[in-house]
Amino acid sequence: MKIKINGREYTYEDNITIFEAARRSHIKIPTLCYNQKLQPYGSCRICSVEVKDRRTLMPACVTKIEDNMEIFTHSQKVRRVRKMIMELIIASHGITCNLNCLNCSRATSCEIRNVAAEIGIDKLRIHPMEEQIKPIDESSFSIVREPQKCIVCNRCVRKCSEVQGVDILTIANKGPETHVTTFLDKGMGNVDCTNCGQCILECPTGALHEVYHIDQVWKAIEDEEKYVVVQTAPAVRVAIGEEFGANAGEIETGQMVAGLRLLGFDKVFDTNFSADLTILEEGTEFIGRVKNNGVLPLFTSCSPGWIKFLEHNYPEFIPNLSTCKSPQQMFGAIVKSYYAEKNNIDPKNIVVVSVMPCVAKKFERSRPEMKGDVDYVLTTRELGKMFKQAGINLREVPPEMYDDPLGESSGAAVIFGATGGVMEAALRTAYEVLTGHNLEKLDFHEVRGIIGVKEAEITIGNKEIKVAVVNGLGNAKKVLEMIKKKEKEYHFIEFMACPGGCIGGGGQPIPTNEDTVIERMTSIYDIDMMSKYRKSHENPSVKLLYKEFLGEPNSEKAHHLLHTTYTARK
Amino acid sequence: MEKIFLKNDLGLDKYPFKGLRNALKGSPEDVVQKIKESGLRGRGGAGFPAGIKWEYANSIDNEIKFVICNADEGEPGTFKDRFLMENLPEKVIEGIIICAYAVKSNYGYIYIRGEYEKAIKIIKNKIKDLYKSNVLGRNILGTEFNFDLKVIRGAGAYVCGDETSLINSIEGERGRSRIKPPLPIEKGLYGYPTIVNNVETLSAAAEIMKYDDNPYLKMGTEKSRGTKLVSISGDVNQPGVYEVELGKITIKNIIEDLAGGVSNGELGFVIPGGVATEALGPDEIDVPYTYENLMELNSGIGSGGMIVVSNKRNYFEIIKNVSNFFKNETCGTCFPCREANRNINALLNHNKLMSDLTSEQIEIITEIKETIGYASRCGFGQASVNFILSVLEKFNDGRVNS
Repeated sequence: MKIKINGREYTYEDNITIFEAARRSHIKIPTLCYNQKLQPYGSCRICSVEVKDRRTLMPACVTKIEDNMEIFTHSQKVRRVRKMIMELIIASHGITCNLNCLNCSRATSCEIRNVAAEIGIDKLRIHPMEEQIKPIDESSFSIVREPQKCIVCNRCVRKCSEVQGVDILTIANKGPETHVTTFLDKGMGNVDCTNCGQCILECPTGALHEVYHIDQVWKAIEDEEKYVVVQTAPAVRVAIGEEFGANAGEIETGQMVAGLRLLGFDKVFDTNFSADLTILEEGTEFIGRVKNNGVLPLFTSCSPGWIKFLEHNYPEFIPNLSTCKSPQQMFGAIVKSYYAEKNNIDPKNIVVVSVMPCVAKKFERSRPEMKGDVDYVLTTRELGKMFKQAGINLREVPPEMYDDPLGESSGAAVIFGATGGVMEAALRTAYEVLTGHNLEKLDFHEVRGIIGVKEAEITIGNKEIKVAVVNGLGNAKKVLEMIKKKEKEYHFIEFMACPGGCIGGGGQPIPTNEDTVIERMTSIYDIDMMSKYRKSHENPSVKLLYKEFLGEPNSEKAHHLLHTTYTARK
Repeated sequence: MEKIFLKNDLGLDKYPFKGLRNALKGSPEDVVQKIKESGLRGRGGAGFPAGIKWEYANSIDNEIKFVICNADEGEPGTFKDRFLMENLPEKVIEGIIICAYAVKSNYGYIYIRGEYEKAIKIIKNKIKDLYKSNVLGRNILGTEFNFDLKVIRGAGAYVCGDETSLINSIEGERGRSRIKPPLPIEKGLYGYPTIVNNVETLSAAAEIMKYDDNPYLKMGTEKSRGTKLVSISGDVNQPGVYEVELGKITIKNIIEDLAGGVSNGELGFVIPGGVATEALGPDEIDVPYTYENLMELNSGIGSGGMIVVSNKRNYFEIIKNVSNFFKNETCGTCFPCREANRNINALLNHNKLMSDLTSEQIEIITEIKETIGYASRCGFGQASVNFILSVLEKFNDGRVNS
């Protein structure tokens, strides 16, 4: 159909919104409550546009184009209305000395500031609202909510329910009392929150952020008595650069290692090491379950958001969960046993810090089942802040190598960072261990990519193994329901709480969206391609660990240190 | 008490359901045609032609459709639906059944304001009786038409008088407006085609159907047919619900002749159709009471809730009161409505006298009104500042008591 935008004619197919039509015509209409991936909500009205012969302005995000529609995206009326809405939003923020842009978690990535600049706010005539102080929700191990900064755009609520299927956030009350909250205002730590942190990525303001461990980490580094060891998750290296203005997915592994040394960590190790270890433990567990008619399908256990989701909503599937700790926890357990023993360090003096793309890892390290393995967890964003505090411009630092022995890893480990990676790594090892043959084609393209649910059938020896790879908890829900109804049967399923896997984690740089996730994913597989070893069981340091310390995968010692239990939370 | 049209059946011993019987004699399309011809406009506030709504609902082909009678009457100063439900409950229900027949629906709800305990009781009892006497239920009055009606009690939110919010409320969702399109007629309650009409609209339809000819064609003006119930309150000697023929009487006459004149001093201003319409000063009320005449004054008939304010009242306190109402009653979903009403409220409450407001503050309120009118999500938000600004514009003349 033919439409006119700002006097120029365009032809588009039916059923697209004015917003989409404008985008295709290279005109950006500002938005706050809109996200392409969520159900339209039409509440911020920032996207209002003028349509000829309409009494009111029309919200571009929900208004469909019609034949011969004449749209004005930036007319004087539109600009005036947008400015006023923006002034009202800024006033609603209740800016004070304690609460302002200077000390905000989103000082450099605030959407309100960006939209205000786009709209051209040049004066504020409306005084900040004098709010009664709304208490900060600090009930969670992972996530902090600062309701004062919330503009009630409802994006976190929609992300939590529509994408993740977790649905712990809601809107309560009406009028000026309208606010986002949890069931009965219990707080995020006291409801079925999985700590995935997708809400943080969705928030346009600083109303949601992680529980910071930065101060504790500084303190540990500065404590002469402490031997402070850091591990970095696979997904961090392809994202940390974004905190310093790099393009999404730029690989900064060596610079990050160098930066961590500059911060003062005693050893810079790699979670990839324990990812390889996970493959040996989990692969062996899988082979054992298949051989001994154990509970199948086996579910992966690397993603703490996924684990908590299952414990709350599908506790009947706990026997399906791999008993393996996540790579983060395995790493901590190995450092405080094997590494301490080998280097004559008192484990009590060792502080293990993880850098994770994840906020649920902060909850995971606090789980009573695994307490003590890891001391502090920094998100990718927090590490970016620490580098800045220390005057380190990551992109200028000459790259360095990880420390031995817990810094050595294979390409199979780095792909843990992307959805499908754990499965692919497990298949590479399982194939070779079970058949004794070398795998000719290492790339399992069926399990790669950002699609929510992927399936593959792999022949190992004379056995057909059915696997699935699931990312995003909403998708996990769908797959679990299908398994419950016996509509689907699998042997092995990889589940990741966040869309795209860890590269799309709740602790990653903002923006984290489909575009940035795809860039990071590409880099992850590039690193794999360039790796010296590409199969976990070929990692020499892991081999040595078994030889010197653990014996063999799933040995008694391995079970004691590297495996865990779960808690039904229904 | 005047009995022009709607009130004709007040005090009948046995309600004959003549309108319904007549309707059932013809086809649904005949009913639609008659209502369309009558020019009856929605009496809830928006004034949309009822016949066109009915025709559209009739034309949609779906096995399940809903009829909802909007009896949430939350507009301050409006109490004519309560009058109808308490005094003419059969006519209200008759109107709902006629509408259902006309749009080919078998299921209906009447959503009554929670505070209307008496009306709720009366309507509930009446529904029970009418099931017994075969006016509701299966094979109504011996025809093949089936219709079930249920009462829903509102929980006290002004915004639930907006039809999409009302539908959300029935479904147990938050009381907030839905994005249109789709219109409720296309996709409403539980996703099914739904027609929502005001109590008075439906009652008027029932009355129209009583006659073989079309009485509305003989009453009112071309754009404002028939009669309207006006609920008058405030500084008048005889507040109450009056029925007037549209175009045959001025606002001035309504106040002076029907409501017994202004009490407690001279007329200050009148709010003609609820607090979502602009106030009119003494020099503006000598106009015929019609949709078109009031629209010319940038005001409106609205819900027919006429509030008369004497010149002895503190105008500023009145607009603060109305502002408090809108601040608290906005559903809070869309930013312009939520934040505009909150900020206007704060601006007003910062000042003791109306004359303390600076010209910059008035300018901001004027701009906020423009924004809320152009960009709010539903009609309630769009109209929420009309009255307040009209008082600031017309009566901010340094009066001592404001």
